[in-house]
Amino acid sequence: MKIPELSSRTIWAVVMIVYIVTCTIPIGASFEMSDITIEIYEFIDDLPEGSVVFIGGSAVFAFDLESSASLIACLKQMERKNLRIVCAPFGVEAVQFHKYCIDASGVMESRGGTWVYGVDYVQLPYMPGGAAAYVALMDDIHTAVATDVAGTPLNDLPLMQEVLNHEDIDAWICPHWAFDMIVRYVVAERDIPGIYFAQAAAYANYVPYMMAYPGMVWMTNGFLGGAQYEKLEGVPGLGTAVVDSYAIMSVVYVGFIILGNITMYQNRDEEEEIIQ
Amino acid sequence: MISTDPWVWVSALMTICSFSLLYGENPLFRFGEYTYTAIVVAHSVVTGISTLQSRFAPLISGAKPLLIIPLILGLMSIFVVWRRYAWIASFPIAIMIGVGTGLSMRALIATEILSNIAAVIREAGLILVGPPVNSLGYLIRVVFTISGLFYLLFTVGHKGPLNKPLSYLREIGKYAFLSYLGLSVGNAIMQHSGLATSAISRLLGQWLGL
Amino acid sequence: MSKTLTYYRTYVIRALIIICMIATLASWYLVSPPIDAIANELSIWNMNIATFTLFVGVITILSRYVKGIKERADNWVFMLYATVLIVVWIIFGTMTGIYADIYQTAFLSTKITLHISILGQLIFFMTSAAYRLFRIRTTRTLLYALCTVTIVLCNSPLLLGPFPIVDKISFWLLNNPSMSGSRALMLTGGIGGVVLAIRILLGLEKGALRATEEL
Repeated sequence: MKIPELSSRTIWAVVMIVYIVTCTIPIGASFEMSDITIEIYEFIDDLPEGSVVFIGGSAVFAFDLESSASLIACLKQMERKNLRIVCAPFGVEAVQFHKYCIDASGVMESRGGTWVYGVDYVQLPYMPGGAAAYVALMDDIHTAVATDVAGTPLNDLPLMQEVLNHEDIDAWICPHWAFDMIVRYVVAERDIPGIYFAQAAAYANYVPYMMAYPGMVWMTNGFLGGAQYEKLEGVPGLGTAVVDSYAIMSVVYVGFIILGNITMYQNRDEEEEIIQ
Repeated sequence: MISTDPWVWVSALMTICSFSLLYGENPLFRFGEYTYTAIVVAHSVVTGISTLQSRFAPLISGAKPLLIIPLILGLMSIFVVWRRYAWIASFPIAIMIGVGTGLSMRALIATEILSNIAAVIREAGLILVGPPVNSLGYLIRVVFTISGLFYLLFTVGHKGPLNKPLSYLREIGKYAFLSYLGLSVGNAIMQHSGLATSAISRLLGQWLGL
Repeated sequence: MSKTLTYYRTYVIRALIIICMIATLASWYLVSPPIDAIANELSIWNMNIATFTLFVGVITILSRYVKGIKERADNWVFMLYATVLIVVWIIFGTMTGIYADIYQTAFLSTKITLHISILGQLIFFMTSAAYRLFRIRTTRTLLYALCTVTIVLCNSPLLLGPFPIVDKISFWLLNNPSMSGSRALMLTGGIGGVVLAIRILLGLEKGALRATEEL
């Protein structure tokens, strides 16, 4: 029996059916824990109480959604460890992304958590300028940024009275695509450990940094890394849901590749006849 | 149970508009496309207004009157949209290019070049140390990096006695890049699959309550 | 007269670039408080100037849409809708502030949902593209397809659950052959970036500055 060449719409219909089924009927797929994710988790766990962690970078919200799985779990861990965070957005949508993760993690007092704005966490405004913004922030935070996102002078915020420059930053978490800027101006120039909750497509691009700066740079791998971090912290979320549907989708993807090759080999004789 | 939150309905409408492209070009998709463009542009302006208030607060309060210079330069930079007066924008752009290039030059040398070369040398020293899997890994790293560099820097073959051995090195580099591209595409499948899951699960879960 | 002004402008711009570049480099490699102060001030100015680039997009888009509406171009109704939406959104955002819950909800429900859906749709196109593209006729396509299929399956929980070693294989592949290709690209990109910086310093790259266009 010859397999016909499938049209794109047929393939899209099959993929859509797979997603509808996996989104409505969770299969609870299990996955293995990675050593790197455990290392990151233990690094955050070992930070002394009151340590200041910066969360920031530059990219687009939709791409960064993949990092939100790890970041939301990490925020809960940092709340549990009584760490303090400063969100430093260098992208136009980064302010919205940071707010989304903070709200979703429920760490703020107004959402049932323990963190108080200005004391435990601060949201800086968008800082344009690319590399210049990172360098200015590392040199002197209060000169680089005068107010927080709401217009409150930084000197009026208790947390920012203690955080003045790069020497007061204990770690930097990047849940955005542009991790190379963090490596260049935060890790390499200022010796601040960098954690990257990488998008899967970005992991392959930036993994050389993990090899070039061992013990200073760590990376998780996409939604799978997010699911692992959620499992470590015990807060199932987007990462766990995605890994579930990916379990079936991966087989479907490979299945279509095999089907395409079978179709090609079946039609090979006809193609050779046409060529002749 | 179907949601009664109007924002969930807006979100569902946007998702359907976007996915309607799978059926074909249609007015729903155009509606979604123009909505996206409009909000991206408008959000940039809203962020810009908020950022201006933050960045020029010291000028307004009188703490730093020197900021009048970047204010004027910034206003000059807007002239880039008019072809006839675009030359006015070349002065602030020159400052941005100068600062950006200086900063990237010092960073590129340290992080992209020197640290990677140091890593290759370090890994070359570890090839004969440790378990076989790790040794193989280090060997692959060193060989693929060097051959990949050869392929990128000497893509076009040169005449001479070294051409044949170097062509083998270039060929290895080509296969090194093929493996990199194949692995990164395979890894990226997870990303897009996850985003589709997020969109569809929001449609089915939040909107339809399934 | 116009040519003379163009020459003066070119040299002023070139001088600005050289001063800014050398100030930022010198502040890092030399210990000098005055140069540090100049470099820091230039970084702040850079950030402040870059803020105004956020308004360039709206001017370009609105001028294009208004022209399209006047000329009744294709999709002019959608252009009219978009123009109205831009104005309404700017007023709404300025009144509420970008950190307000209502603005966040509106932004997430519209732009972010659209963007995630558009990016999520790519999996459909990637699957149909894979069906047609990964047809093994040569050694190169065999290697490419094998790498893609291996990593797709190694990341899948269906294999990760019963065969935990698959996770180690996946990371070994990503951290060794894949990383090497990326590292080679990074090295070459770094060299290219430094060469470009030197060319800018020497005044050989000036297209974006429109420095030599006559007034």
